[in-house]
Amino acid sequence: MNVDLFPVALSLRVAAVAIVLVTPAGVALAWLQAKRRYRGRALVDALILLPLVLPPSVLGYFLIVLLGRQGLLGGALESVLGLRLVFSPAAAVIASCVVALPLLVKTAQPALEAVPREMEDVARSLGLSEPRVFARVTLPGAWRGIAAGVVMAFARAVGEFGATLMFAGNIPGRTNTMPLEIFAAYQAGDDGRALAYVLVLTALSCGVVLLAGQLAPRGFRS
Amino acid sequence: MSRLEARFRVEVGGGRFAVDVELGLDDGVLVLFGPSGAGKSLTLAALAGLVRPASGFIRLDGVTLFDSQTNTWVPSRRRRVGYVPQHHGLFPFRDVVGNVAFGLPRARRTAADPVVAGLLAEFGLDGLADRVADLSGGERQRVALARALAVEPRLLLLDEPFASIDVGGRHALRQRVRQTLDRHRVPAVLVTHDPREAFELGDQVVVFAGGHGVPAGPPEQALAAYSVTIEGTAVATVDEGGVRRVRLQDASLVAAPGSLPEAGPVRLVLSGGGAESAGKPGGSEDR
Repeated sequence: MNVDLFPVALSLRVAAVAIVLVTPAGVALAWLQAKRRYRGRALVDALILLPLVLPPSVLGYFLIVLLGRQGLLGGALESVLGLRLVFSPAAAVIASCVVALPLLVKTAQPALEAVPREMEDVARSLGLSEPRVFARVTLPGAWRGIAAGVVMAFARAVGEFGATLMFAGNIPGRTNTMPLEIFAAYQAGDDGRALAYVLVLTALSCGVVLLAGQLAPRGFRS
Repeated sequence: MSRLEARFRVEVGGGRFAVDVELGLDDGVLVLFGPSGAGKSLTLAALAGLVRPASGFIRLDGVTLFDSQTNTWVPSRRRRVGYVPQHHGLFPFRDVVGNVAFGLPRARRTAADPVVAGLLAEFGLDGLADRVADLSGGERQRVALARALAVEPRLLLLDEPFASIDVGGRHALRQRVRQTLDRHRVPAVLVTHDPREAFELGDQVVVFAGGHGVPAGPPEQALAAYSVTIEGTAVATVDEGGVRRVRLQDASLVAAPGSLPEAGPVRLVLSGGGAESAGKPGGSEDR
């Protein structure tokens, strides 16, 4: 049995970059949905949820249509910046971002909603600007839920398969993340190699579920 | 000139609920009195700068905080108005000192700061449990008051401050709050649906009903329907069988129109909290 560590390192690296990119955007979106009432909020809510519901292959298809070499944005990226995303590790990062974002938003949003408006109003009356209200009241009150969201999103990013296969391909030494490698190894009849990655991913997921449980938000006493 | 002067209309839910308010206060405590859902808390939020009224004006110490005609709106953080919400809004992720000093600059957020130390001593918060979640209702209220006073507000806003406190402890706490307000010489607006609170704490009352908040004078006048006053001159006192009987000369009962019979024998029993409702700090009517 020949187990290559490259897919393990690649998967972790791709997921880590995706989380760094997705966390600020996800927390901002969750805050917007939790704390503001605006026209079109329900539509934004639906759009956030969509990647969670759509088949990953459909997401991959959309990513190719949007960012592929002949894509709506991809063509411009390549001709202007010389950037070619498809079949690159960056494409795997983007695919992971798309599937991780809704999980992060949907876990962080209730935690932000649970921070009583009363507390934020007191902070405002004490002279805090909106960014400071967020940094000194909302965030400390909701960090457990946000952290749980980040952890879950990381696990989802590590495990991303369908959209990654479509958009990043399965190029050994370049885009072969663990989930892709499991599929490829099993197809090739190398069950031992598949099992090794299966065990790594299973252990990782178990750890994540336990950690997220530890981080479950605690209620506020009013 | 009044320190606080306001006349405005607040709307919520796209105008589904609206309340028109008029109020003024020189010093002391202005009580916003009325049933729940009458718009008292909404009025307080407007004074705090947390809800923008649809029209009208709010002036405090000669400064216009809101004026719909000139499109003036000073946000809450620049009003220097202390706000104590119904459930106190303590920060569970800060200890007692961290709560009291929350509105101060970072370098002053310690028990060593003179203002913080003074408030901790004044409110008996020294050596209290560090976790605010472990505090009693009365202690939480003291922390919330001290926190609001730490930034030296020009006006204090109290929303049902005794709602989460045991009925038995409210009388003493009301006295404490009143003393605190007098000591700090900060005018206050207090929301309550409890006539006792209005009598004990209020100097002036705005009565809320039917979508309007209207100035109605001092509590005795504004809340006549909730009080009975016995006036007269004591001429003889007998203590017997565990009670005190005082004979009054030229005595009369003063109460809301229609609440007392026009002629015939009268017997009025004020018991427990009932008698308290006619009491005012320093007044002669004790329970």
